[in-house]
Amino acid sequence: MRNTSLPYVFLIPALIVLGILALVPTLGAINLSLQDRSLMFKDWDYVWFQNYLDLIKDSRFFNALWVSVKWEVVTVVGTMFIAVVGGVILYEKTFGKWRKILSLLLFIPVLLPKISAGYIWKFMLNPLMGIVNIMITSLGLPHVEFLSSPTYAIYSVAMVDIWQWGTFFAVIVLNLIETLPQSNMDCAKMECNNVLEVYGLVAIPMLRGPLVAITFVKMIESLRSFDLIYTMTNGGPGISTETVDLFAFVTGISVGGEVSYASAISVMMMIITVVLFTLLWKRASR
Amino acid sequence: MRLIRNLIGFVLVVALALMVLFPAAWTLMGSFKHLKDIVTTEAKFIFTPTLENYATIFSSVDIYKGVVNSLIISGVATLLGVIFGLPAAYALSKFKTKRTPDIMFFILSLRFMPPVAIAIPWISVWLNLNLFDTRVAVIVTYLITSISTIAWMAVAAFDRVSPQIEEAAYVDGYGQYEIFWRVSLPVAFKSLLGAVAYAFVVVWNELMIGLILTSSRSTTLPVVAAGYTSMGKEIPWGVLNAATVILAIPPILVLGLIAQFMSSVFKHRGSGVKG
Repeated sequence: MRNTSLPYVFLIPALIVLGILALVPTLGAINLSLQDRSLMFKDWDYVWFQNYLDLIKDSRFFNALWVSVKWEVVTVVGTMFIAVVGGVILYEKTFGKWRKILSLLLFIPVLLPKISAGYIWKFMLNPLMGIVNIMITSLGLPHVEFLSSPTYAIYSVAMVDIWQWGTFFAVIVLNLIETLPQSNMDCAKMECNNVLEVYGLVAIPMLRGPLVAITFVKMIESLRSFDLIYTMTNGGPGISTETVDLFAFVTGISVGGEVSYASAISVMMMIITVVLFTLLWKRASR
Repeated sequence: MRLIRNLIGFVLVVALALMVLFPAAWTLMGSFKHLKDIVTTEAKFIFTPTLENYATIFSSVDIYKGVVNSLIISGVATLLGVIFGLPAAYALSKFKTKRTPDIMFFILSLRFMPPVAIAIPWISVWLNLNLFDTRVAVIVTYLITSISTIAWMAVAAFDRVSPQIEEAAYVDGYGQYEIFWRVSLPVAFKSLLGAVAYAFVVVWNELMIGLILTSSRSTTLPVVAAGYTSMGKEIPWGVLNAATVILAIPPILVLGLIAQFMSSVFKHRGSGVKG
């Protein structure tokens, strides 16, 4: 616009504060990761890259990486699936006032604290008194160990994450479909044989850009898996649901007290996510 | 044929609604149940309601402390988020330069930072400053979340204030700061409220940083609630359900504001990204 001091006065304080708030923990974590600090002992010294050398030999770290990757893939794919299918159902089958009411309801799960969502489902998935297993066994099927089976536990928790985000994004997809020009939708309906073709060949491809954008948002949000997993399984059974952040937490705070080793884990995690997401962002925004 | 299709559609919509409503209703019911009505192998929809779970919660000093701490911490962190984030968002929205995308990316990239990587180094900082387990420490740590969330989302809200209105104000002799205060801020107010409410909810809901940076004096409500699973031998399911309900109240209160804002942002972003 015009010659004014406003952009500087408005922007610089925020950037300075954010810069400090980003630098303090980043430098702090790097510094700690080069030492051998532990909550049990007072003495400490610089050990330089020893923690990192230990880390790349630590099979528990690679287990955590693998669990994190599984978590990321399952929650993102699951959420986008529910989002698209749910969005299409909402667009096709709800109208007027009911659509508004339903949209509002579907926003609830994502706003719930993860710890609330975690407790809700931990309660419902309980092997004996949980309502889900009561329903399963009443159909004559054997009950399922949702959270105490090393194989299923991570998917059970991921399902809760999908429950929180899928319905929210379904409303967003509904809003996106509503922005499509009505003429396109009408002519798609005339030329296509069924609903699947209308959306698969016309509507969804038209929404490719925004859909990529919300997938990116979900990928970022999926990085915050800690609260839900901590509430529901705390990494168990064994370490079958232990993601990298939980591994760092357990090592550094709750059990081990190995603050420096935990810092090395978080620095590794920070490097991996920042590099990966920067590349993704550059690709997506091109 | 048409009837069958309508029926299938109806079933799908009801299924979608139940997916949200059933868990919520079940938890709400659980919070009013005696433990014996919860720990059974049959689903009890009819039961003698009790307030004992809520009584347990409200008689607990920890919960009371958690509510107060959470309200103060989330409130102040959001307020400071508004003070720093809103003007920044306005500048980013209305004064675009070559650097704007980089600044936006910097703000977004703060969301990639693993919370554990933020929290652990702060422990030693707050211990050295003798501020560990104080509200001030938790608030400052949360500022990275509240400022970046508000700044990022408010840009979209300011983008929708039409340049013509601001131009008209300029012609009327308004200065740049006056335009912000008296034109853009009021025009974008409703969407901004949504962005601010969302930031409040994000901070209110956060568990991990609270868990790491507080021990007794400044524990937030999620941290207190997380402690309930480890209480005694038997898990107090009724109390847990009641705690779940209480935790969820503030986010539900601002549901309408946030829903409206999110829908419009993604619509807007959607048409923006497509180009």
